[in-house]
Amino acid sequence: MTELSDRLSRLMEVWLSGPMLSIGLTLAAFIAAQWLFTKCRRPLWMPPVLIAAVILAVVVWVSGIGFSQYQQGARWLTVLLGPATVALGVPLYQQMHHIRALWRPILFTLPVAATLAAGYALGIAWLMGASPLVLASLASKSVTAPIAMGITEQLGGSVSLTLGGLLITGVLASLFVDWCAKWLNIKDDRIIGFALGLNGHAIGTARAFEISPMAGAFSSLGMGLTGVFTALFLPLAFMLIA
Amino acid sequence: MVWLWGFFVLVVFFLLGEAVRVVAGLPISGGVIGMVLVTLKLMIRGNITDSLAAASQGLISVLVLLITPGVVGVFFVADQFSGQWLAVAVALVVGTLLSVLTTLWLMSSVAKADDKEAGHDGTQ
Repeated sequence: MTELSDRLSRLMEVWLSGPMLSIGLTLAAFIAAQWLFTKCRRPLWMPPVLIAAVILAVVVWVSGIGFSQYQQGARWLTVLLGPATVALGVPLYQQMHHIRALWRPILFTLPVAATLAAGYALGIAWLMGASPLVLASLASKSVTAPIAMGITEQLGGSVSLTLGGLLITGVLASLFVDWCAKWLNIKDDRIIGFALGLNGHAIGTARAFEISPMAGAFSSLGMGLTGVFTALFLPLAFMLIA
Repeated sequence: MVWLWGFFVLVVFFLLGEAVRVVAGLPISGGVIGMVLVTLKLMIRGNITDSLAAASQGLISVLVLLITPGVVGVFFVADQFSGQWLAVAVALVVGTLLSVLTTLWLMSSVAKADDKEAGHDGTQ
């Protein structure tokens, strides 16, 4: 009996010595989350990434693996975020004809709105006495995750807090764009889509594709341009302030 | 293996982005610089290879999977930010509401002004 438990604890050691257990758990949680999400009829307030993260957090905590062990293995997945960020250039190029068609409103709106998307939150958090670490983590809250993670690393914030804030921002932006567009009586899918992508990154874009393919295309565009603009200017602005 | 060449191209552009970041001393992540470079390259070329399209589509479709390990972390850093959660929550909720309103208002006013101008030109 003790021999068996010895062997089991040895198995755990072997499993934890490589990254495959973390990768397997992440894949399992991801697949389970997708399944649950469709099963619950795609609720706007509960995107698959949130479901997967909750499942993983519980498993990692209850099993005693611990977050740092898990994260070490999962790094084999997250390194792919580098080439995945580069890959975002492809849809951006494919949207280029939309940019040409509506370049004036885009050119006027993008720098102001993308700056304010970061600025409002930073101002409020600063007034309420948040620490520099929190401010650096919240700055990229409207930017799509792979780009935001890069920005936060450059600013010296907490990537985990950024991702949490990102998630909440995406869900809220989807709800707020719906309400505000009704209130302002805006029915142009191009404008609604652009606002969804600019403020709500990938989560807003998923919502935009539910409205119409046109809204989806403009949301991808808003997401991509906001990502590029914020990634280029926020670290420079932070460097000047600091 | 149609995507393998495309994946290689993405990795090369990522490495190029890192090179630009380090050599020029920019505070921007190598992935973002690589993305800008790849967009510029495609604009100059004027079209896109099947291989690059397949590789980027594949990676983008699993983006959520790649982000998930980072999101899990937020449940484990909670005490690191104790006492600041109210500031974070208010900043996120009010900040997002204000920026959504600003974007919608700005975009629709500029688009409306453009339409009016176009209509004016049309009557002349």
